[in-house]
Amino acid sequence: MKIAFTTKGIEWNSMMDPRFGRTEFIALYDEEKDELTNVDNRSIESVAHGAGPQTAQKLFDLKPDVLITGNGPGGNAGRVLAQANLKIFIGAGNMTVKEAYDAYKKGELKNSK
Amino acid sequence: MKEIVIISGKGGTGKTSITASFAMLGGKDIVVADCDVDAADMHLLMQPDWERSEDFYSGVIAEIDQEKCIKCGKCADVCRFNAIPIIDEKYVVNTLNCEGCSYCFHVCPADAISMNEQNVGEWYISNTKADNVMVHARLGIGAENSGKLVAKVKNEAKRIADETDKQFIVVDGSPGIGCPVVSSLSGADFVVLVTEPTVSGLHDLKRVYELVKKFNIPAGCIINKADLNTKVAQQVEKFLKKEKITYIADLPYDETFTKAMTKGQTIVEYDDTNLKNIVVNSWEKIKEHTNKI
Repeated sequence: MKIAFTTKGIEWNSMMDPRFGRTEFIALYDEEKDELTNVDNRSIESVAHGAGPQTAQKLFDLKPDVLITGNGPGGNAGRVLAQANLKIFIGAGNMTVKEAYDAYKKGELKNSK
Repeated sequence: MKEIVIISGKGGTGKTSITASFAMLGGKDIVVADCDVDAADMHLLMQPDWERSEDFYSGVIAEIDQEKCIKCGKCADVCRFNAIPIIDEKYVVNTLNCEGCSYCFHVCPADAISMNEQNVGEWYISNTKADNVMVHARLGIGAENSGKLVAKVKNEAKRIADETDKQFIVVDGSPGIGCPVVSSLSGADFVVLVTEPTVSGLHDLKRVYELVKKFNIPAGCIINKADLNTKVAQQVEKFLKKEKITYIADLPYDETFTKAMTKGQTIVEYDDTNLKNIVVNSWEKIKEHTNKI
């Protein structure tokens, strides 16, 4: 399983970013390889409009099985992500990446429709 | 640190008057962020000192280098916004009409067109009369608010709240349901919807709540001017029940709000009666709900 996180940093103890479109990083954990990689999304700061769909596109290219985030994607990003075979879990906005992963493993995060 | 965002969908419901009152009541426990940047007016009530200001750049507009221009007119032909008129036999960009789409830049055979970032306004960090810090912004003529500017204002407010260990960020959200509102809501812990009992008030409340639901943020609602139309007020209450939105309070229509405003004061400074009590109780309720999250 590949699990994507919206984060403010690139380490396990980095804080999650509750925002989807304007998240600073997308961290990707490959469970099989036990490897945490990341995509720097900070250039999104200079995007005036349409941050959600642009980040969704980046996520789409990573082909994760699961996305863990804070509030969840908005309408436009949601429509893009609906095309991907992706499970979205929300409510991890105030956690570290590690805490978010553990909460997901324990089934404590809410599944976004 | 928790983030409380106040939005209304429809304009004129009293959102900013109420937000400024909360900003007064919150005092030094909070940081205020005015993300209603299209028509920022909270500063009229908060009397900020504009301590620090910085230019804000967003979007691009076309510029034609007259030395390189061969006057072929291709740029004007493709421009969908009629932003390239001929003035004194020269093709020039009307900066108010240019949307920054870059079509002209791509078709110009002489490479005479450049797309340049524009300075659209300023953002500020201020100390207010309520003994708190407020992050706000002002846009230039014809400039539009964006998710980018809202994100900037909110990020600064968050940084200050983190550094100074504040309990809450109180955000005056943007109107409508577009990009700036999405950016206002993103990362929020609790949303306060300020509405009024009119057909358009209820319509826009429903519309903006669709967005709040997408972000899974718990919400509460204040019905302002509730006695103006009791029938629609009941419809609003029905909607709140159906959607499990916390009912916070009814406020009556009262011109004391306007009187306070003309004195540059919030209702909690100007009024000492029922109105003030309702607003104070609302703020307590909102804090209680937000802290439970």
